[in-house]
Amino acid sequence: MRMTINRRRFMTLAAAGAALPAVSRFAYAADPLAMQAAWINDAEFTGYFTAFDNDYYKDEGLDLSYLSGGPDVIPESSIIAGKADLTLTTPDTTIKAIVEQGAKFKIIGTQYQKNPHGIISLASKPISNPKQLEGKTLAVPPVNVISVEVMLKINDVDRDKVNIVPYAYDPTPLIKGEIDASLDFTTNVPYTIKQAGGVDAHSFLLYDYGYTIFQDTVVVTEETLATRRKELVSWLRASRKGWDENLKDPNAYPPKFAETWFKGTGRTIDNEIFFNNAQKPLIENPGGVFAMSEDGIAKTLDALGQAGIKGTRDMFDTTLLQEV
Amino acid sequence: MAAEQVLPAPKPLNQAPWFAPVRNIVILLVLWEVAGRFHLVADGALPSLTAIVERFWADRADYPAHVWSTLVSSALGFAIGNIVAVAAGILFVLSPLAARLFRGFNVTIFAVPTIAIAPILALTMTGISPRVTLAAMGCYFVTMTATVVGLTQIDLRSADLVRAYGGGKWDVMRFVQLRSALPIILAGLQVAAPNAVLGAILAEFGGGGRWGLGIYLLGSLGRADPPRLWSIGLVATAIAGIAYFIFGLISARVTGASKAVTMTTSLPPAGARTGGQWPSLAVAFGSIAVPLVLWWAFIKLLGVPEMIGKTPWGVIEYLFFLPLSQQAQTRLLDAMGQTLPITIVGTFAGLAAAFALSVSSRLVPNFTRALMPVALFSQTMPLIATIPLFVLLLGRGWLVTLIITISVTFFPAFITLAQGMKMTPRAALDLPKAYGAGAWTELKLVGIPAALPYLFAAARLTVPRALLGVMIAEWLATGKGLGNLLNQSRGYLDYGMIWTVAAASVVLSVALYQIVVLVERRVLANMGMRGSE
Repeated sequence: MRMTINRRRFMTLAAAGAALPAVSRFAYAADPLAMQAAWINDAEFTGYFTAFDNDYYKDEGLDLSYLSGGPDVIPESSIIAGKADLTLTTPDTTIKAIVEQGAKFKIIGTQYQKNPHGIISLASKPISNPKQLEGKTLAVPPVNVISVEVMLKINDVDRDKVNIVPYAYDPTPLIKGEIDASLDFTTNVPYTIKQAGGVDAHSFLLYDYGYTIFQDTVVVTEETLATRRKELVSWLRASRKGWDENLKDPNAYPPKFAETWFKGTGRTIDNEIFFNNAQKPLIENPGGVFAMSEDGIAKTLDALGQAGIKGTRDMFDTTLLQEV
Repeated sequence: MAAEQVLPAPKPLNQAPWFAPVRNIVILLVLWEVAGRFHLVADGALPSLTAIVERFWADRADYPAHVWSTLVSSALGFAIGNIVAVAAGILFVLSPLAARLFRGFNVTIFAVPTIAIAPILALTMTGISPRVTLAAMGCYFVTMTATVVGLTQIDLRSADLVRAYGGGKWDVMRFVQLRSALPIILAGLQVAAPNAVLGAILAEFGGGGRWGLGIYLLGSLGRADPPRLWSIGLVATAIAGIAYFIFGLISARVTGASKAVTMTTSLPPAGARTGGQWPSLAVAFGSIAVPLVLWWAFIKLLGVPEMIGKTPWGVIEYLFFLPLSQQAQTRLLDAMGQTLPITIVGTFAGLAAAFALSVSSRLVPNFTRALMPVALFSQTMPLIATIPLFVLLLGRGWLVTLIITISVTFFPAFITLAQGMKMTPRAALDLPKAYGAGAWTELKLVGIPAALPYLFAAARLTVPRALLGVMIAEWLATGKGLGNLLNQSRGYLDYGMIWTVAAASVVLSVALYQIVVLVERRVLANMGMRGSE
C-alpha cells in the first residue's frame, strides 16, 4: 500500500512538472501496468483494492498503478491516449466507438454479469416496470439516455410520454419529489435515499426488462492485447482473486479501506458495505469473476442491436480468461 | 424613502464605514438561519447556517488533504498564468503589432466558457495539469490587461528623462514603466487569485483523481446531503476570498493605498498603426489565425492521438466532410438554436438587474459597499453545490436557466456600473441640483447618460458569462442545448462533437462580444463619448 501511494504521489508530481512546458506524457509507454477506473473510489472497485492491499498484483509480478475516474473522465480515452493500459467501461459506448469510429478495442472480461443500472423511485410512489414510467419525470445522466430509450422501446413504452431530464448524481430532487425516478446504480443509491431522506427506495434493473448488457467491461487496445498479453492475464488472475476474497464476506473489506482508498471521498463506509453486498449477485458467475459466457455476449449484442449499435462477436476476446 | 429623495438624511458622524456592510451581513445571516431552520426554502433544501457548520465540524478530518491539493494546483496555475500574462503584457506594449496579432487570442481567452474547455483538458492532459491550466487561464486575461494598462499609463516626464540620458526603449521599460506598473499589476493579481482557485476546482470536479475540493464535492453530490455541499462550497469561497484579501494586503503594502479594482473587459489599445508595411487586413487575418495555430500546436506538441485530439481542420472535417457530417450539423444547429436565444435574453436580463440595482444604490447610498461581500460570494460559490436548490425552487424550464444566468452575470456588471455612476463629474451633477431637481431627475439627466460607457463595459463582461451560465444550466438542469450536447458527446465517445461544441461555444461567445464592441463604438461615437475599460 505504502509503495502504491508513493508512486501515485510521484506521478502527480511528474504530471505537475509536465504542465510547465507543454511536454507530452503520452510519449512514454510505461513499463508498469496502469488501470483507469470508471468512477471515483467507491465500493464498485473493492475487488481491485483488495488485490492491491493483499499484494496479489505484486505476487503476479505486476507493477500496477490505479487511476481514479470522474464525470469528465472517459475511460476509453485513457487507453487510446496511452495514459492507461486497461480500463473498465460501459459496453454500449465501447462498442459504439468500435463500430462508428473504428476504435481498435477488445473486451477481455466483464466485472458485472448483470448491469447494476436501474430505475429508482420512492417506495411511497413506486415505479415497478417501464410501463409505469409513462407520464412521469425521469432523471437520467445524459450519457445513459440511449440505454433508457432502448429499454423503453423494448417494452413498448412511448418515449414521448416520459419526461427525461438530466441527472447530476444528486438524489435530493428524488427525495424532495421534484422528479419521480432516476437512473442510477441500484447497488448504491437506495442506501443513500434511506439514510438522507429517511424514506425507502424502490427499484428495478434495466437488465430485467430486456436491456441485457454487461457493465464495467474490461477493455484494452488491440495493440496492448498483442504486446502485453501475459501481464493482462496476470491482471485478470490477480483481480479475480481480489474479488473472490472480497465477496467471501462483503462486510469485511470496506472498513479496512476507510483510511486509505476510501479516505476523504465524502461517502460513508456503511454505504460502501451496502454497495458491496448489493453488487455481489451481479458480479458472481459460475465461470468465475470476469467470465463472459457465449450467452451473455449474445444477450449484450442483441440488446445493443436494438439500440442501433451493431456489435459483433469478434469484439470480445474470451481467450485470456481461458488462460486464467 | 420619499423624504430621502428630497433631503438625504445626514450620515451620523459616529457611524464607522464598516457599519453598514457588517449590519447587512448580520441581517442576511440571521435570515438564512431562520429560513434553513424552519425549512422555509424548497422544503429544507436550503440548509441552515448552523447545520452547515455542524456538518463541517463533523467532516473536518476530510478537509486538509482536499484543500491542500486545491491550493497546490491553484498556486501553480496562478504562478504560471501570471508569469505568462506579465510577459505577454510587456510584449504587447513593446510591439503594437504583436498586440494586434494576439487580439483574437486575448478575446478568445477572455470569452471561452470554462465548462466547454474543461473536458478538452481532461481528454488531452494528465495528472493535475488540467487543473493547473484552467487556473492559469483564469489569471491570464486580468493580469495581462493590468500589465498593459500599468505600462502605458506612465509619467511621460520620467520617460523623457531616461531618454535624455541616452536610454532606449528597454531602459524606459526598466526604469519607468515597470516601476509605475507594479501597483496596477498587483491589483490585477488580486482579482486573478480567486479566479485561479475557481479554475482549479472546476477542473478537479470533472477531471478524476483522488484529492481536491472539486473531487470532494463530486463524491458528496450523491449523498443527498445539502449541508455538506454548502460547507464544501463555502470552504471554496473562503479560500478564494482569502486569496483576494492577501493580495489586497500585499498591494496596499506596496502602493501605500489600496485601489478598487474591477475586472477589465476591454482589450488594451492596439497602439499606433504600424504603417503600410502591415496592412490592417493582413493583421486582422493574423489575429484570427493565431488562436487556430496555437490550438493546432497544442494538439501536436502534446502528441494527442488523432482520434481524441481534433485540430481546427479536424473539426471542419467532422462537420462537413464525413459520412455522418449532415447529422452532426443538425445536432449542432439544433443545440445552438436552443442556447442562443436564452443567452441573449439572459445577457439583457443580467444587465437589467445590474442596472436596476446600481440605480437604486445611487438613490440609497452605502448600498453598494454593503453588497460587496455578497458579490464576491456569488462569484465564488461553486454552482454545482447550489443547482439542486435552484431546480427545486424553479423547476427545469427556461426560468431556471434565466435565473442561473442572471446570478452569474449581474454582480460583475453591477460593480462596473456602480463605479461608473460614482465617477460622474461633480459639476455635471450640480447643474440639475441647482435647478431643484430631485435625485431621480438628476440620475435621469446626468447619471445614466454618464454611465453609458460603463454599461457597455458591463455588457462586454456579461456576454461570455451569460453563455457560461446558460451552458451550466443546460448541463445540470434542463438537458437542452450546447451544455447537454457537450455532456452527451462525452458519453458517446464522440470526440469530434466534443471539440466542435467547444469551438462553437467559443466562436459564439467571441461573436457576441464583438457585436457589443461594434454597437458600443457606434453609440458612443454618436454621443461623442469615449469607451471605458
